[in-house]
Amino acid sequence: MNLQYSGEEKIAASPATVWAFVQDPEKVGRCLPDVVDVAVQDPKHVDAVVQVAVGPVRGKFKLKLELMPDPLGRRIDMKVSGGGFGSAVDLTAGADVIDAGNGTTLLKWSGQAVARGPVAVIGGRVLDAQAKKLIEQAFANVRQQLST
Amino acid sequence: MSTQQKPVGSLGVAMKRKEDPRFIQGKGHYVDDILLPGMLYLALVRSTYPHAEIISINVSEAMKVPGVKAVITGKDLDSAGLGWLPTFHGLDKQMVLALGKVLFQYQEVAAVFAETRGAAADGAEAVQVEYKPLPVVADPFTAKADKVILRSDRERKTNHIYHWEVGDKDATARALAASPKRISQRIWFQRCHPAPLEPCGCVALFDTMGRLQFHVTSQAPHVYRTALAIVTGIPEDKIHVISPDLGGGFGNKVPVYPGYVCAIVGALKLGRPVKWIETRTENLTSTGFARDYHMDVEIGATPDGRVTALHVATAADHGAFDAAADPSKYPAGMFGVVTGSYDFPVAHAEVDAYFTNKAPGGIAYRCSFRVTEASFAIERAMDILADELKMDSVDLRRKNLIRKEQFPYPSPLGFTYDSGDYHKTLDTALEKIGYKELLKEQAAKRARGELMGIGVSTFTEVVGAGPSKHFDILGIKMFDSAEIRIHPTGAGIVRTGTKSQGQGHETTWAQIVAEELGLDPQNIMVEEGDTDTAPYGLGTYASRSTPVAGAAIAMAARRIREKARKVAAHLLEVGESDVEWKDYQFQVKGVPAKSVTMKQVAFAAYTNMAQNEPGLEATYYYDPPNMTFPNGTYVAVIDVDRETGEVKVRRFLAVDDCGTIINPLVVEGQIHGGLTEGFAIAFMQEIQYDNEGNNLNTNFTDYLVPTSLETPHWETAKTTTPSPHHPIGAKGVGESPNVGSPAAFVNAVIDALSPLGVRHIDMPVTRDKVWRAIREAEARKTQS
Repeated sequence: MNLQYSGEEKIAASPATVWAFVQDPEKVGRCLPDVVDVAVQDPKHVDAVVQVAVGPVRGKFKLKLELMPDPLGRRIDMKVSGGGFGSAVDLTAGADVIDAGNGTTLLKWSGQAVARGPVAVIGGRVLDAQAKKLIEQAFANVRQQLST
Repeated sequence: MSTQQKPVGSLGVAMKRKEDPRFIQGKGHYVDDILLPGMLYLALVRSTYPHAEIISINVSEAMKVPGVKAVITGKDLDSAGLGWLPTFHGLDKQMVLALGKVLFQYQEVAAVFAETRGAAADGAEAVQVEYKPLPVVADPFTAKADKVILRSDRERKTNHIYHWEVGDKDATARALAASPKRISQRIWFQRCHPAPLEPCGCVALFDTMGRLQFHVTSQAPHVYRTALAIVTGIPEDKIHVISPDLGGGFGNKVPVYPGYVCAIVGALKLGRPVKWIETRTENLTSTGFARDYHMDVEIGATPDGRVTALHVATAADHGAFDAAADPSKYPAGMFGVVTGSYDFPVAHAEVDAYFTNKAPGGIAYRCSFRVTEASFAIERAMDILADELKMDSVDLRRKNLIRKEQFPYPSPLGFTYDSGDYHKTLDTALEKIGYKELLKEQAAKRARGELMGIGVSTFTEVVGAGPSKHFDILGIKMFDSAEIRIHPTGAGIVRTGTKSQGQGHETTWAQIVAEELGLDPQNIMVEEGDTDTAPYGLGTYASRSTPVAGAAIAMAARRIREKARKVAAHLLEVGESDVEWKDYQFQVKGVPAKSVTMKQVAFAAYTNMAQNEPGLEATYYYDPPNMTFPNGTYVAVIDVDRETGEVKVRRFLAVDDCGTIINPLVVEGQIHGGLTEGFAIAFMQEIQYDNEGNNLNTNFTDYLVPTSLETPHWETAKTTTPSPHHPIGAKGVGESPNVGSPAAFVNAVIDALSPLGVRHIDMPVTRDKVWRAIREAEARKTQS
């Protein structure tokens, strides 16, 4: 099951602050919805455990995040892969950090996810809406963290 | 239906099934009922990816789960020489546990052994497998391009497995080119699954003598014993296979699965019994699927509807391994029966099979090998031809059916059909269903814009593999066997190499013995599935039990009769040549009053046998001279709701000719069951994969099994043309309804939609497909 998403968040923080934030594996990891554990491996890699509930499929997913910042373009790409209870998710996401003036930043993001196993099948009817909600929530969390 | 017994003799009696009191009281004994002291449970780690390299397998977390005793991987098995197991036709091999990479989603990757079923499942969950995804090949047409080669372990670096063909290619091409009328249609018989209510499983144990006691859900216990001896190197005398009661099989319990090998390895390694029972999801996603044939059918005909030639080219999706359970020399099974019941002067059929990233299989799901695919293709195509010729499909069929006087009929694709009266069977069906009245009703409804369809299927099956000169599995010829022992009191036991999965052998085998020996079938016990006691046989699938083992039983009984004749002569105080078997007893020729029953003879065989060899038993290994060819005419009457696309099956009539009937009650039950499965295939069932190789039908919420609420009422009738070469004339029936019914259902739906210009819909004919076809037809009409 191949899913594609995009959106944007307007953040009340300067582009430099946002740029620093999205390169921090600990902080990015903490923005995952329903995250229960974050373990930074190195400046580019973080392992996270999240609670997943898609339809009748409920349990913990172990995810590996790899951050791939492009300082010149002020763009952050990331790969997320992992899974649990016989299911797997591979997700790629990218966000452009754009100066929106007046000390604010526009985070323009897009991503695609491939889900496999029971989470794609049993949860198939609700997975798309659920995944969209989770990805939106992740970027909303970035905004929230930076706005407080 | 009468359940009254004939006073003597048992053939044709609607005797209630002897096994049913046990089953309906929940007293059946299945593999999962076996509980042994110290038994461990096996759970399998399965691949989430359809095609991926295995980077690493980390079992350390799994070993920390309380109760987990061991975890084994493909590497462990490979180092013990058990990395691969041969598929049954011997043309390919299958990984037991993934080696280097996975080739389909839910493939077996690691085996976890634990004290409880729950701990095994938790342990399997804790095994960490790191994959590197590879490009997925999800259909045979992508596979054909060979851009991604799936099986690097094979010498030939291609996804193409084999090309098989039969018939006269050039003559067929010429005849098609010269035919004034031609139709061609791609017909896909979707991937479906037998889904027996009891999934597959086993209990493996090495006893105190070091002998493997292997309880397993197997339709072919002796073949398992031999296959296990070959795979594991354990001498065959040290292997005891026991297949207890089976909750359905339908071909799904013919192959040997990786879980079985893992359970045996675990039992050996850990010195304790190991049980493995797969889940519903495991059954649907990894064990033998059926069909998945993409068939390009071409028929040539004269303008007045005489068929001139048939060509069928098939792309077969075999999944990751070529595990189709076909006889060695028949990689596409009996697909050559694709000319069906029609007298084609010339024909050519070819099959090209491909590897894809899907579960392996291609088993004979309630049909002789690939017969259902063949039957569906020709029965659907004949309707398309009738549509093209603007002929009633019944008239087209009648014109081309093989005539009674043509039997034994040599088909252009190499079979010799044994017997049949196809026109009589068709006429019986038309009269019983009231075809003329239905046509009038349909015409009136069409005038009102209502959608009513009448679908007909006049099918022929080929079953009973088979003659040893043609058929073998792993080199073992496909004979079957029976051993009969008659006890002093006239009771007895019959053992065969077949294995009932619900077919009613405990009843019908007893009836054959009773018929041949004039004994009470209630006191003839039937035992199957134990390789220590049953004579060697190839098992029950492909409708081979009655054609092969049923014949062996009759022949063994006749051997007993010959031995008994000597004892009877002694009792009657006449010479053996003066004794005849008449009216179910031994009589002195010309003096019917001077007679003895088999029961009396049986007692004498142990108490007063004179100089004759004591005892009364015989064994017979039967090698059939030909296959048998059950046939029938099925008619479906359906109504389609134009607004919603809902199809309602109003009536369904099955007229079967299965030769001599042993027990009409059992035959009717078989037909009801097969029709219900055919109905499910036609309207509900498909194992779908998306382009990413995800299996989308992994449980009974997505793979639908009809309940009594959805199932139509079945009407049945019969004609009887006994098989001339079978000892009692029986042909077999268990699979006819699954073979013949899908085309009748689909033909009926297309017939209903034909006024809109709809020509074909692939199964399953779901409501949304019908709705879409109606909307598209209406849109076309608006545009024009």
